[in-house]
Amino acid sequence: MAELNENDEDIIRLAGMKKNFAWILVVFCLIIPTWVFIDTMLVFPESKASETSTQPDSEQIIYEPVVFDSTEISNGIHIPTGMIADTGCAEVVRNCGACHSLDLVKQNRQTKDGWKHIILWMQETQKLWDLGPQEEIIVHYLAKNYGPENTGRRPNLQQIEWYQLD
Amino acid sequence: MNPKQSSRRKFITKSALAAFAATIGTKIVYGEQMPAGLEPLGLEAESGGSNVPGKSKLLTVLNSQPWNAETPAHLLDPDQTPNELFFVRNNGIPPLDFDLSKWTLTIDGESVAASKTYTLQELYKRFEHVSKHLVMECGGNGRAEFNPPASGNQWGVGAVGCAKWTGIRLKDVLEDVGIKDDAVYIGYYGADTHINKNPDDIPISRGVPMKKALEEESLIAWAMNDKQLPEMNGYPLRLVFGGWPASTSGKWLTRISVRNKVHDGAKMDGQSYRMPKYPIQPGTEIPDDDFEIIEAMPVKSLITYPKSGAVVPAGKIFEVRGHAWSGDKVVTAVQVSLDFGMHWRKCVLSPPINRLAWQRWTSQVKLPGKGYYEIWARATDESGNVQPMIVPGWNPHGYLNNACHRIAVKQV
Repeated sequence: MAELNENDEDIIRLAGMKKNFAWILVVFCLIIPTWVFIDTMLVFPESKASETSTQPDSEQIIYEPVVFDSTEISNGIHIPTGMIADTGCAEVVRNCGACHSLDLVKQNRQTKDGWKHIILWMQETQKLWDLGPQEEIIVHYLAKNYGPENTGRRPNLQQIEWYQLD
Repeated sequence: MNPKQSSRRKFITKSALAAFAATIGTKIVYGEQMPAGLEPLGLEAESGGSNVPGKSKLLTVLNSQPWNAETPAHLLDPDQTPNELFFVRNNGIPPLDFDLSKWTLTIDGESVAASKTYTLQELYKRFEHVSKHLVMECGGNGRAEFNPPASGNQWGVGAVGCAKWTGIRLKDVLEDVGIKDDAVYIGYYGADTHINKNPDDIPISRGVPMKKALEEESLIAWAMNDKQLPEMNGYPLRLVFGGWPASTSGKWLTRISVRNKVHDGAKMDGQSYRMPKYPIQPGTEIPDDDFEIIEAMPVKSLITYPKSGAVVPAGKIFEVRGHAWSGDKVVTAVQVSLDFGMHWRKCVLSPPINRLAWQRWTSQVKLPGKGYYEIWARATDESGNVQPMIVPGWNPHGYLNNACHRIAVKQV
C-alpha cells in the first residue's frame, strides 16, 4: 500500500496507524495468552479421573484448579512431564498420564484424525473415560504439537555419534 | 544405584529367589541377576533417565508405565543377549510380590478332557528339561520408521534378542493333561494387571495355533541364560515361541487355555498384532475383517559391530558382523553394501545353534576412500525372502518392518 502512495503525509499517517495497530496487537498478544496460560497451564486441574468417568457432564469437577510452580516451564517445555507447554497440555497430562507414561504420547506423531482414532481405541478397549469437552482441547494440542512430518519411505540416519574406531 | 531406593526390591527379589530354589528343590545361579537401578514400581520419575527394574541403564526406555525399553543395536552383539540387556515390552504391570510356593499353572479350556493345575515344583520334577536358543522379537520392532507414523511404542531396531531359554516343552504338559481332537489354539493368561487399575481387565492374553504349540522348541521356561527370568521378562514362568511375535510368549504365566477356536483373549482381536490381508496404500483404512493374525516374523538382520558412527582410519580392514533370523525359517545368505545398495558382498554365515536361534554373520570390510558411508545388511532365507532396502508394506499399527539395518561410518 505505502509504496503506491505518492503523498508523504499519507505515508506518515499510515505508519502511525500501523504503530497504533501494533500496540493493540502487542496488548492482545500479551493479555490473551497470559489469561489462557494461567487458566490452563499454571492452574492444573486436580485429578478426578474416577469421577469424570462416572459423571461425564461434571465440568465443574473437570476444571477444579491445582496450582503448580511456573518455574517448571523452561524453553517451552513443562519440565516435570517433558511435554510441550501449550494450551491443552494440562488436560493431556491429567487424562493420558493417569494410565500410561507420557513418554508414549511424546514419541507418537499423528494428525487430528489419528489422535482421535487412538482415543477411540482406548475408549473401546482400554476403558478410557469420556473426555467430554476436553477431547477437542486435547486433540488440538496433540495434533499441533505432536503432528506428523513426512519422512518419505526411509529417513536419513539421525543423531549419529561419531567416534574413532581403533 | 541408591542403596536406600533399591533395598526393598532387593529384599523381594532375593527372598523370591530363595523361595524359588526351595520350591523346585535346586539351586539357581544368582550371578549378575541384580544389575543397577532396582526401585519400587511407580517411584520412577516420568521420562528421561528412568531405569527399568532389573535392567541395564543402557537400554533405551520408550515408556515407563508400563515398562517398554529396547536394546541399542551394538549391545546385541553377543550370541546370547544378556538378561539385563534383553528388551522389555510390557502391556500391563508385572506382579510384584508373591509367594512362589503358591504359584501354579492351570491348563484348562474347551479342548482339554479335564483341567489340571501344577505347582512350579511339579512342573520342574515331572517333565524333561530342555534348553533352546530362541529369537524373541516384538511384532512392532521397527515401527518408528513407518510413514505416516503408526501409533504405539516407537520401536527402533532393538526390540529383539536371542537367549538360551530353559524349561519344559509345552507339548509334554499338554500331553500330560490330554487334549481333545478339536483343539485349535492355546491362549495364555498371566499375573500382570491392567494399567487402568481395573482388576477385571486383562492387559494381554494371546497365544498360538496348536501346530506351533506342539513344536519341539515351544517352551514353558523358568530360566534365561542359566539364570532366573528377569522380573520384566516374566519371572517366574513364561511361554517362549521362537520366531513368532513376542506377544505370543506369555509372561508371568498362570494359565493356558486349550481352545476349540482361535483364542479370543485381550489383544487377539481388532487390529492388534494383525496385518492387512492385502497391501494397502500408506495412510488408508480398511475394515477389521480384512486383517489377519501375524504368525512367523519376517527375514531380518542386524549389524551389531561396529557401533554406528565409526570413524575409520584410511586403509584399515575391520570386521562388520551381526545376527540374522527369519521366523520359522533358516537364513541362507547375508550380504552387506557400502554404496547404498548398488553392490552387495556375501558374508560368512554360521548355521543356527538350534532351530529358531539367530545366526552369526561376519564380513571383513575396507572403505574405498574418504567420505561418508552407510553399511547396509540384508538377509535371505531358505524360501528366497529378502529384506527390503526401504520400509515395507505400510500398515496402521506399524508391524513387521524388516527393512535392512543401516549404520553410518566415515573415513576422514
